[in-house]
Amino acid sequence: MLLRPALETIGQGEPIGVRATHPSVEHDLRAWCRVMGHRWLGLSPSGAYLFEKGPHAELGGADWGVRIPPRKDGDLETRDWMLGRVADIPATADTTAGFAPRGAVIEPGVPPFHFTINERDAVWAAEVADLYEQATASQWDASKDIPWSALTPLPDAIERAICQLMTFLAENEYSALYVPAKFVPQINPRFAEVVMFLSTQMMDEARHIEAFTKRALANGGGLQYSALSTQLSLKSLFDQHDFTTASFLLSVMGEGTFLDLLKFIEAHAPDPATAEICRRARIDESRHVRFGIAHVKWYLTAAQENAEKLMAAVRQRAEYMRSVTEVSPRIVEALALLAAGALEADRLPAGFEKVRVLLHEMNDHRVKRLVACGFSGEQAAEMSQMHTPNFM
Amino acid sequence: MASNGLIRVGAVAYDPRVVPIWEGMRDYFREAGVPIDYVLYSNYDALVDALINRGVDIGWNTNLAYLKVMKRTGDHARVLAMRDVDANFTTVFVARTDTGVKSLTDVKGKRLALGSADSGQAAILPVHFLQLAGVDPDRDCTVLRFNLDVGKHGDTGTSELEALRALRDNEADVTALADATWIRETTEGRVDTRQIQAFWTSPEYCHCNFTVLPDFPQAKGEEWTRALLGMTYDNPRWRPLMDQEGLKAWIQPTLEGYRVLSEAVAHQRLDEKW
Repeated sequence: MLLRPALETIGQGEPIGVRATHPSVEHDLRAWCRVMGHRWLGLSPSGAYLFEKGPHAELGGADWGVRIPPRKDGDLETRDWMLGRVADIPATADTTAGFAPRGAVIEPGVPPFHFTINERDAVWAAEVADLYEQATASQWDASKDIPWSALTPLPDAIERAICQLMTFLAENEYSALYVPAKFVPQINPRFAEVVMFLSTQMMDEARHIEAFTKRALANGGGLQYSALSTQLSLKSLFDQHDFTTASFLLSVMGEGTFLDLLKFIEAHAPDPATAEICRRARIDESRHVRFGIAHVKWYLTAAQENAEKLMAAVRQRAEYMRSVTEVSPRIVEALALLAAGALEADRLPAGFEKVRVLLHEMNDHRVKRLVACGFSGEQAAEMSQMHTPNFM
Repeated sequence: MASNGLIRVGAVAYDPRVVPIWEGMRDYFREAGVPIDYVLYSNYDALVDALINRGVDIGWNTNLAYLKVMKRTGDHARVLAMRDVDANFTTVFVARTDTGVKSLTDVKGKRLALGSADSGQAAILPVHFLQLAGVDPDRDCTVLRFNLDVGKHGDTGTSELEALRALRDNEADVTALADATWIRETTEGRVDTRQIQAFWTSPEYCHCNFTVLPDFPQAKGEEWTRALLGMTYDNPRWRPLMDQEGLKAWIQPTLEGYRVLSEAVAHQRLDEKW
């Protein structure tokens, strides 16, 4: 143990001298050298025992003396750890580094871990450490942070509309939980910040599933109907096997569209609990959207022809979804009813008009997000039109 | 060769972990394009008989087993390879510090614990090194022999651990054991090094090797050795196997290091019944 630090600082074949007072050190050290594969040289004229570091011995080169500079507020943020070897984010990650933290010195002989996502461009986003930081700071508790006690009985039609929307939202959030979950074990741990961010995304989605389901059950209604068109849409998302494509379709296209949807429900919510759930969920979703945009931007910057790959994925999904030409009637009607405020014939047209405006805004915002990713205006417009009527 | 054309390698199952080691070796050789099968025996005499009687083609022998094969082949058996640690094995003499023993000659008059009678490192060679230093254990010492796992040539190390225990319990003053056993016991904290200390390290000698009969085809032997030497410690597939066998590299054999055991065996007349 005492020798280890010295061995770590020298190279293979270099000599090391040991001075010791223990009477049997000559015999013990010699035996240890043989077992460890060092070459025993014996007693030097100066009275030190000498040996030569063997080829399979201690590793060298671990960082030492790294000190993250303190922030004014005393915090230590995740992006601050980009120091020393930790800052080296490889373009292609070593598949034999296993679970060693990025920056650690790894003993040889690690069994292959079969991570399949080993290219930085396939997962990375410039702001990922910041987004992770924001995510951890923004966690909330769906049991305590929602004004559940403010719920009071609502007209059946309105409660039914809310319950239908909550069913729809929860169903979509299952896919938003499962899609990143499917990729996490494939991502090489060298890209830890991405894995950590996706973990917060999964936690967010779990909480949204919790909150939406609770709301459906909290006020005399219950979970309502799951539409075939929703399942088709989510299946086509879950079946994506490329991380960037999945992240693009889920976060940029789907969750991006959900921002407008959640804002709409929040604005027309008949009770404070629904409004608060939608407000909080929207803040979380906006982080996922930002990660999606940042990653796609990185991906498109790496190679401009990547834009065509993503466009092809959008076309392919639209082809799979061709039997579904419009938003599920149950969802449109529930949204229109909320916007109308009551199931009354003279108020409903205004509600439907608001939904029409919402769909128009969704398209406009999708185009803007696609342009922010780095697509041309033309590409953005084409892809936005092809997006699933299911929103997600 | 076996009827299926595979080279049969014989070894002694001194411990249950020998089975996974040889399963791994069989996988390795299959992938290296020189497929083998393995046959395990319960003791080295059975392995030596099997090699002589062509029950196996290659024997993974201890130094003592190798000398037996040499005697029975008129010194014509060949060695294909050995572990890196087989080329420079040593025996360490250790003593209770309260005995004041500092050299081999000091062992005279002391209680000497020895391992299994058929262990090169813990019995045959220690007696020889003492005799070379002018100490005849049978005449000059009180000898305690721990004949455990006889037939396994000291591979299990149990007799060495018993001898160390005898020193700790003040039943003996001095013992001799494989350097690897000694360093493992001390670094893992099972020896109080204020109570028991090493005082002499033997010259290097050879330990195990892969032995073949004189007529084993030369080209086949070279091909097999080349395949074996291709197993590297940096390959994660085989590293655990090499760790279990206690080596970092397979090497071409050196035979000079068998002379001292050969002399010890002759001097102690152990080969008269071979």
